[in-house]
Amino acid sequence: MNLEHLFTIRRMSKNLMEDIFDLASSIEEKPDSFAEKCKGKILAALFFEPSTRTRLSFESAMLRLGGQILGFSSAKVSSSSKGESIADTFRMLNHYAHIAVIRHYIEGIGEIAKEFATIPMISGGTGTQEHPTQALLDLYTIRKELGKVDDITIGIMGDLLYGRTIPSLLFGLAKYDNVKVHLISPPALHIRKNVKLRLEENGLAFRVTENHKEVIDELDVLYVTRLQKERFPDPTDYERLKGAYQIRKSDLRKAKDSMIILHPLPRVSEIPFELDELKYAKYFDQAKNGVWVRMALILKYLGVD
Amino acid sequence: MNEDKNKLIVRKIENGTVIDRIPPGKALRILEVLGIDANYPYTVALAIRVLSKKMSLKDVVKIKGKELTENEVHKLSFIAPGASVNIIQNFEVQRKIQLEIPDHVEEFIKCLNPNCVSNSHEPITSSFDIISKKPLILRCIYCDRVMEDKYLSGKL
Repeated sequence: MNLEHLFTIRRMSKNLMEDIFDLASSIEEKPDSFAEKCKGKILAALFFEPSTRTRLSFESAMLRLGGQILGFSSAKVSSSSKGESIADTFRMLNHYAHIAVIRHYIEGIGEIAKEFATIPMISGGTGTQEHPTQALLDLYTIRKELGKVDDITIGIMGDLLYGRTIPSLLFGLAKYDNVKVHLISPPALHIRKNVKLRLEENGLAFRVTENHKEVIDELDVLYVTRLQKERFPDPTDYERLKGAYQIRKSDLRKAKDSMIILHPLPRVSEIPFELDELKYAKYFDQAKNGVWVRMALILKYLGVD
Repeated sequence: MNEDKNKLIVRKIENGTVIDRIPPGKALRILEVLGIDANYPYTVALAIRVLSKKMSLKDVVKIKGKELTENEVHKLSFIAPGASVNIIQNFEVQRKIQLEIPDHVEEFIKCLNPNCVSNSHEPITSSFDIISKKPLILRCIYCDRVMEDKYLSGKL
């Protein structure tokens, strides 16, 4: 199979997603048997925006596969600060590495990759557009914890406007059958029109609410994201909403026993530390799963058996 | 005699473009988009809200010495869908184009998203799929953002 690039979940089939999850699951079971798979291969990690988990888990994934890594973690140390185009960066990269992961604040660079990159490129997040590998590890976690992604009810809460993981997660969920989505956010942070149109095109039904307590008893998954303080023109709005978009222990009284709470991290106050010990809390497992999923992605996109 | 009274007489042009069946009130916008103002050196005839058998009211524009580019035809199709463009040479209609909103457009409009790669220094041009013609909605092929009628009206 010749996979080209990964910049959007929309272009990934459900079959491919399931293949990646199956492979990630085998890796998770016996990581050592994959330790030599990428010997002699180089992963370039180009992070034009800050990252903790995505970069470290990609690097960890490549090192666990026996490959090597090169790259940078700030736009300041790259030639983009001298005005180099992304197209030129990609052309050069073709000769320096076998696969690349790139995070950039500029949106739509997947189309540049299509035209100028000859090595497989994987998005590590593009602006507020998408974060496809985060969505894959989210879906992998759901599949692992609940045994399925079909027929679930999920509440997605917080900043649905600027959070780049949200469109990817929704596009991924749209591939599954009978998924019910509750979008929980203040009206000002609701999903963008283009995302809404894509969901309508793909037949993913969603309902909108401002209060998680109204729907918590229905949920199999509560996916929480951070309200980003810097997005609020009026700081008092942030202070007011912060409390309303925080999960309290008492809110969980009506939750199903099997419900899981996920968060792409970093969290601020939306999930207080006291929740970490509860059976619902799966966000650190989710972060750990990022390594297995990214190992599977590297293998698939490099075409390594 | 009555018929003659209501008839608008505008002389034929030798070479140029006649845009007919323009939705009423859009003629001035068409001239603006084509960059035709008081400094244009040739004859321009403009008729606004004249009687039309097919549309009840319409605008008509005749521009001597002007042949539309592909890009201009695209732009006009958004402003005056349904209008017809006649390219005139030696007083004869050489080509007739029915203005129709295309399924895809390139270059002539910028993406509204300042962080879109089509707005940065890259060897590409802006490119949009038209996902709805009524209401008009364009989708950027790069960043996936959509631009709607209310935003586009000021840009086209």
